[in-house]
Amino acid sequence: MNTTFGVQFRAIEGGVVLELSGDIDGTASKVLTEAYGGAVAENNPKRVLLDFTHVEYINSSGIALIVSVLALARLEHRQVLASGLSDHYREIFEITRLSEFIELHGDLAGAISQIAEAAR
Amino acid sequence: MREQATRELAAFSVPSEPGNERQALVLLAEAVSASGLSATQLERLKTAVAEATMNAIEHGNHQRSDLPVELRVMEEEGAVVVSISDWGGATSSDQAPEEPDLDRKLAGLQTPRGWGLFLIRNMVDAADEVSEGERHTVRLTMRVVGSSESSRSQG
Repeated sequence: MNTTFGVQFRAIEGGVVLELSGDIDGTASKVLTEAYGGAVAENNPKRVLLDFTHVEYINSSGIALIVSVLALARLEHRQVLASGLSDHYREIFEITRLSEFIELHGDLAGAISQIAEAAR
Repeated sequence: MREQATRELAAFSVPSEPGNERQALVLLAEAVSASGLSATQLERLKTAVAEATMNAIEHGNHQRSDLPVELRVMEEEGAVVVSISDWGGATSSDQAPEEPDLDRKLAGLQTPRGWGLFLIRNMVDAADEVSEGERHTVRLTMRVVGSSESSRSQG
């Protein structure tokens, strides 16, 4: 039922990818914020890719958390991209207008190659 | 007055503890499995019910685990109706949250939170509230349109 949130980050050509898993709700705040901070401190990336392929559930607190990460990234002049959203959560990104500020990609591999292309 | 065709699909409750909306979603999905909602409609309804249940747990029952959030799933004249009840009484109009504005949130002029009611309103065909004494109920309606898209109004 409830799945603990997890995140792993790694450098890719032109940016970093944060691979998210589990439930994104209020309890994910510390883990996601620390992972974002770690990824940025280690790599100073121009682009941050959030991969939702293994995310099962996002609630309004999770949306708020994504807004916070996006706000921080914009303050630092980093572009945020997303991949792997289900059709339902893609719709939610559209009605909340997150999709106007986060570039959405269907799958992780496609997003990574686009970021690499942009960096060349 | 015409008699309404109403059938109860399920009734259950969850203790008012954070995260228990997920329990409600499992039971909701079972209850509406034969209702004719499309997969898209089911996902929308689940999001709306999750948010209403979270509100009931947090703001209605103030996370008191001895107070249940009660859910009732009905079929009513071509629609699935889910009622979510807590014991927080009526919400006064001056407690209505500010409409979420992403531009303002990103500029730090509005809290990043406050998406719950916005999601509820945008996910279902109708969302109504009624209070009787301390009992406060949110009623969510999703019209059954088979495998085609919901006819919910946009905007």
